[in-house]
Amino acid sequence: METTQNTGSKKLDKKTLSHSFNLWFWGALTCFSQEHMQTFGYMSSMLPILRKLYPKHDDQVEAIQAYTAFFNTNPMLGSVIVGITASMEEARSNGKEIQGDTINDMRAGLMGPIAGIGDSLIDGTLIPILLGIALGMSTDGSPIGAIFYIIVWVLLAYFGQRFLYFRGYSLGDKAVGFLVGKQGAAVRYAISIVGSMVVGGVLASWVNVTTSLKLHGANGKVFLDLQDKIDSIFPGLLTVIITLFCWWLMSRKHVSAIWTMLILVVISFVGVLCGFFDPGLSY
Amino acid sequence: MTINWFQAAILGLFACLCSNSCMAGQAVGNYTIGRPLVGGLVCGIVLGDMKLGIACGVAMQLVYIALVTPGGTVSADVRAISYIGIPLAMVAISSQGLNPVGGSAANLAKSVGTLVGTVGTVLYYSVATLNLVWQSFGWKDVKSGKIDKLYSVNFGWPWVSHAIFSFLPTMLMTYYGASAVTALRSTLPMDGIAMKTLFTVGGMLPCVGIAILLRQIIDKLIDFVPFFVGFTLAASLHLNLVSITVISLMFAIIMYEIKMNGGSNTPRTSSAGGGSPDDYEDDDEEEEDI
Repeated sequence: METTQNTGSKKLDKKTLSHSFNLWFWGALTCFSQEHMQTFGYMSSMLPILRKLYPKHDDQVEAIQAYTAFFNTNPMLGSVIVGITASMEEARSNGKEIQGDTINDMRAGLMGPIAGIGDSLIDGTLIPILLGIALGMSTDGSPIGAIFYIIVWVLLAYFGQRFLYFRGYSLGDKAVGFLVGKQGAAVRYAISIVGSMVVGGVLASWVNVTTSLKLHGANGKVFLDLQDKIDSIFPGLLTVIITLFCWWLMSRKHVSAIWTMLILVVISFVGVLCGFFDPGLSY
Repeated sequence: MTINWFQAAILGLFACLCSNSCMAGQAVGNYTIGRPLVGGLVCGIVLGDMKLGIACGVAMQLVYIALVTPGGTVSADVRAISYIGIPLAMVAISSQGLNPVGGSAANLAKSVGTLVGTVGTVLYYSVATLNLVWQSFGWKDVKSGKIDKLYSVNFGWPWVSHAIFSFLPTMLMTYYGASAVTALRSTLPMDGIAMKTLFTVGGMLPCVGIAILLRQIIDKLIDFVPFFVGFTLAASLHLNLVSITVISLMFAIIMYEIKMNGGSNTPRTSSAGGGSPDDYEDDDEEEEDI
């Protein structure tokens, strides 16, 4: 199979690519609908590329037809796909044997895996780590944690996505092999280990479900403090049990998040009634 | 604490920027301005009580620490959590006279914010539905060759959706909701069953957020092991998150090397043992029945 490395006369300059990238960065989701999702964000980010490559207006109109198909992925990692198509489009305009369908097959084939990788890598690993650190800085009501998150995340997101876009452009369709190949799978697995451990740490650091159940003897002395007993078995056991219960409901019983929350309301209500839970409040 | 029209309008503008299908882009809008922690900072500045705003933001952020939107489906709406829920929680906490950085204030914030956030999903689907109208303009432009108009389809028209379904609801709910929340104090005493339940639920809600994330990263039961190791490091050894991340990186390197070097040599295509696969399946089913 031919690679899309450009040998022809037309070449996308850095300014055009930057313009296209910025349109994706700011506009991937602005005109979102359940039916077409990111299709319009994709089309508008391809416009500068098509304008540069095809001087004739009719050619531009014809070229954009390749991007009218449904598109939805994780927009952060998805910028690599936009970069790859920019490179493929460049090759196509130079007369390489690339049809609109070829570009579309590549997009359709990548958007699923990229969505999966992006959701677990960025939403599931990177952001919980950043937020976990930021929350620690802000527990006393100080704004430092929030400011830390804003600066670190925005810089990472902008330059990370920019890097991916240009990487996608320079690799062209060779990037596909890496993204869904063996090395990609190994990297994903290794990162999922980090993600799982950090999420466990986040749960233990920030969530603390406790019971207030204490049994009093005849002389008024406490002879069973349940929370003490639980802590001596495994600190945080109740928190883990509630979390696993929610996980079991949602992943094994396919209960929606909203119903899971309502079930927690019922558990709390019953627990408060029988004295198992008591937040210990008064005016 | 009260919220005036001007403050409510600023909150409404931020709601437009951050909601999913966000006007400030996903990374800056949804993932920065929309985060409850950042929302807490913004609401704190707008309402003039930074400490309380941040405290509410921290509490809410725990519930939504892992807000993933698989396939564009949402269980909670960030504009409602951060720019309706947090302001109302701030009003509720200050009218109850709770210590802003105390645990009970945090639990109240979680309950109020989660309720509003869950109800707010209707706003998310409303915007996405109205955007279909602008997209139909876009399809016409693509057909008739006026492709330059795609910019206004993608960046201009969706503002109308947000004016109707982000700006107005946020402004009205924060303005009128504030007085409703203040009135709660007289109707629901803190030591009553209703408030106790509300606070207890608030303490448990982050478990749902973590569980949503676990659903993404756990396929087999054995995948729970690294999760428990991370939990134990924090709960029993009291390590902080950066330390846990450093330790987890060590395991990540080991697993990467194993996958890269060992994986291909032992393909698991042939099953060990002599019995036919069908027999094994039958055995499994019987065990499950018992």
